[in-house]
Amino acid sequence: MYRILVINPGSTSTKVALYKGDKSVWNETLAYSNEQLAGFEKIIDQLEMRRLDVEKTLHKKKLDVKSLSAVVGRGGPFKPLESGTYKVSEDLLRDIRSGNVQAEHISNIGALLAHEIAEQAGVPAFFVDPVSVDEFEPVARISGIPELERKSLLHALNIKATAHRAAKDLGRSLSDINLIVVHLGGGISICPIRKGRVIDANNANEGGPFSPERSGSLPVSSLAKLCYSGTFSYAEMKKRLVGNGGLIAHLGTNDSIEIERRIEAGDKQARLVYEAMAYQIAKEIGAMATVLKGEVDAILLTGGLAKSDVLIHWIKERVAFLAPVVVYAGENEMEALALGALRVLKGEEEAKTY
Amino acid sequence: MRMTKIRMCQTKGVFLTKTFRILVINPGSTSTKVALFENIKELFMSSIMHSEKELQPFSKIADQHEFRVNVIEKSLGENSMDIQTLDCVVGRGGLLHPIPSGTYEVNEKMLQDLGKAEWGEHASNLGGIIAYDIGQEVGIPAFIVDPVVVDEMRPEARISGIPDIERRSIFHALNQKAVARIAAQELGLKYEEANLIVVHMGGGISVGAHEKGKVIDVNNALNGDGPFSPERAGGVPVGQLVELCFSGKYTEDELKKRLVGKGGVVAYLGTNDMRRVEKEFLSGDEKIKLIYSAMAYQVAKEIGVCATVLKGKVHRIVLTGGLAYDNHFVGLIRERVEWIAGISVYPGEEEMKSLAMGALRVLRGEEKAKIYS
Repeated sequence: MYRILVINPGSTSTKVALYKGDKSVWNETLAYSNEQLAGFEKIIDQLEMRRLDVEKTLHKKKLDVKSLSAVVGRGGPFKPLESGTYKVSEDLLRDIRSGNVQAEHISNIGALLAHEIAEQAGVPAFFVDPVSVDEFEPVARISGIPELERKSLLHALNIKATAHRAAKDLGRSLSDINLIVVHLGGGISICPIRKGRVIDANNANEGGPFSPERSGSLPVSSLAKLCYSGTFSYAEMKKRLVGNGGLIAHLGTNDSIEIERRIEAGDKQARLVYEAMAYQIAKEIGAMATVLKGEVDAILLTGGLAKSDVLIHWIKERVAFLAPVVVYAGENEMEALALGALRVLKGEEEAKTY
Repeated sequence: MRMTKIRMCQTKGVFLTKTFRILVINPGSTSTKVALFENIKELFMSSIMHSEKELQPFSKIADQHEFRVNVIEKSLGENSMDIQTLDCVVGRGGLLHPIPSGTYEVNEKMLQDLGKAEWGEHASNLGGIIAYDIGQEVGIPAFIVDPVVVDEMRPEARISGIPDIERRSIFHALNQKAVARIAAQELGLKYEEANLIVVHMGGGISVGAHEKGKVIDVNNALNGDGPFSPERAGGVPVGQLVELCFSGKYTEDELKKRLVGKGGVVAYLGTNDMRRVEKEFLSGDEKIKLIYSAMAYQVAKEIGVCATVLKGKVHRIVLTGGLAYDNHFVGLIRERVEWIAGISVYPGEEEMKSLAMGALRVLRGEEKAKIYS
C-alpha cells in the first residue's frame, strides 16, 4: 500500500494529510494569524516557518518519513504546462526561488515543501495539475487585440480530478471521452476537455460568467470608459474585477446560502442576479460545446457552489440538451493531490518532467 | 384623400393586391442611399458617396440635414421621380431609446430625440428626419424600421458582473429581423413561432437568439462582447484590458479605436479586406489561417451561447451579412455548430429592401405602426 504525504499551503493555513492508497489516514490544518504572516515581505520567505510547522506535525503524528512512498505538494502559477502529475525538478526549484513564475502566490511553495520533506525521506516529490495547466489550441489563444492573448489559467487540480473520477464512473478511459467540466467556486472555470486535454478555458480572472467574487466578461467599451473615467484607480478597478465583482458587487455577499435564503424570502433582486449567474454559466457551457463540435459525453458540475440546488437546476434546464449533467459537489484538493501521485506510483500514468 | 387611404389600409388584407410606392432613404456615414420600391420590387436605387471633404464642414450630424436633402432631391430628379405618387417614405432608423422591434411612424418625440442626438450621433439619425420632411410635403406617413436600438432582451441577460455596467441590446436589428422572417417563412413557420440563431457578419458581428419573434439576447457588437470581427475586438480578457487602459500607452480615444474600428482582423493582419484575407487563407499563409480560423471559432462559440439561451430548441441557424459570401469561412463555422440545428445562409444584406418591407407590412395592414414615446 502506497503511503503519500500531501502538503497544501493556502494563504492562511497549511493543510497536511497522510494517505494510504486512496484513503485519508489523517488530515491536519495548520492555521496562521495575520500577525504571524505580517512579518514576511515576500511570500516565499514563509517557506522556513511553514516547513518547520509541517515537520512538527509529522513528529506529533509519529510519522517516520522513511515510511513514505512519495510527497506531493500543491502546484502554483508556474510557467504554462501540460496537465498531469509532475516530478519536482531542479529547474522548477530554481524558477520558484528566482520568481520565474506567472504570479506570486503561496501555492508556489507547495512544491518546495514537498521537495524538502521528500529529500529527507529519499522518495520522489510531485505536484499535480497547477493553475497554469495550458493545453490550449492555437485558435483559443487569439482575442480581438494582439497583445491581449487569451491565457490558460484554471482550477486545474479540481477540474482534472473530477474528470478522472467521472471517467471511472462512466467506465471509460479519460483519453477516450470528451467532457465539459465546470468548477463553481469563488471564481468559475469552464473547460472543454477533449480526450484528457483541456483545450480551452474561460480564465476565471479574465472572462466567462460572473461568479461570487469576480466580474467575468464585461462589455469592453463600457469597461474602458470606466477605466478612463478617473473615478477608480488601477488597483480599485482590478479589485472590481477579481475580489469585489460578481455576486458580492450586486448583493453585498458572496455567500450562496445567504442569497438562497433571501430568494426564499422573496427578494427579487437576489433572484435576478443569482439566476443571471446561472444563465451566464450555461452560456459558457454552450460556447465550450462548440469547441468540442457537439461531441460531449458529459457535463460535470463541481466545486462548493455545486451544492446549491437552485443554481444547478437553472444551469441544467439550459444545458441538459447538450449532454448528461453530472454533479460532483464540493472539492477535495488533498485527495486530488494524493490521487495524482497515486496514479504515477501505480504506473497508470507516467510522471511528467518540468 | 391620402389620409382616407391610410385608414383603409388598416383593414387587414384588403390591399394585398394593391401596389404601394415606397421611397427608402438610408443615410450612412459616407453615403446616402435612395431607392424606390413598388411593393417589394426595387424600381431604382442610387448610392451617392460623400467624400470626407464634403462632410468635414459639419460638426454635428444634424447639420448635414440640408446637404443630404439636396443630394436626395437631385437623385429623385435624375430618376424622374414625382414624390406625389408615393404612398409612404421610410428612413433608416437612428439612435433612439431602447424600443421593441417593429415599424415606427416618425413623430414629434422621435424627431426631437434624433435632432438633438439624445441617444448618440449617427448618420442614420437623419433617415427618420428626412423621411418625415418628405412625408409632410406630400401628406403621407413616414416610418423607420428596426433601428439598432431594438431591445427585447430578457432581464437576466442584462446583468453583467459589475452593477454599473449593464449589458445592452445594440445590434444589426434591421438585417437580423428581415433575414429571420425569410428563414422562418422558408421553414413554413411564422417568425413569431420560430426559434432562430441569426448571425450577422459584417464589419461587426452580432449573434442573436430569436425566440418566437423576439431577440431575447444578443452580443453587443458595438460595445464589445462576442466574437472579434474584421474591424472590432469583441470580448477580450478583462483584467488585461484594464491593465492596458492604465498603462499610459493609449489615450481613451486611441484605446476605443482599438476596440471598435481598428480591432479584430485589422489589428492582427493590417487589413479588413476579407476577400483578400480569404484568398491568402487559401494560399496557406499560417498567420492568416490562424486569425481567420480563430474568428470562425469565436463566432461558433457565440452560436453555442445562443443555443443555451434557447435551451437547445433551435429551428435554424441563419448566417447573413457580407462575410456569409465567404464559403470557406462559413464552412469553418458549420463544422463546429451544425449539430445544433440546420444552417441557412443568406449572404449580404439588403437594407433598402428590408426597410421597404417593414413599411409595406404596415401599409398592407399586416402590422400596426408602433408609436415612439
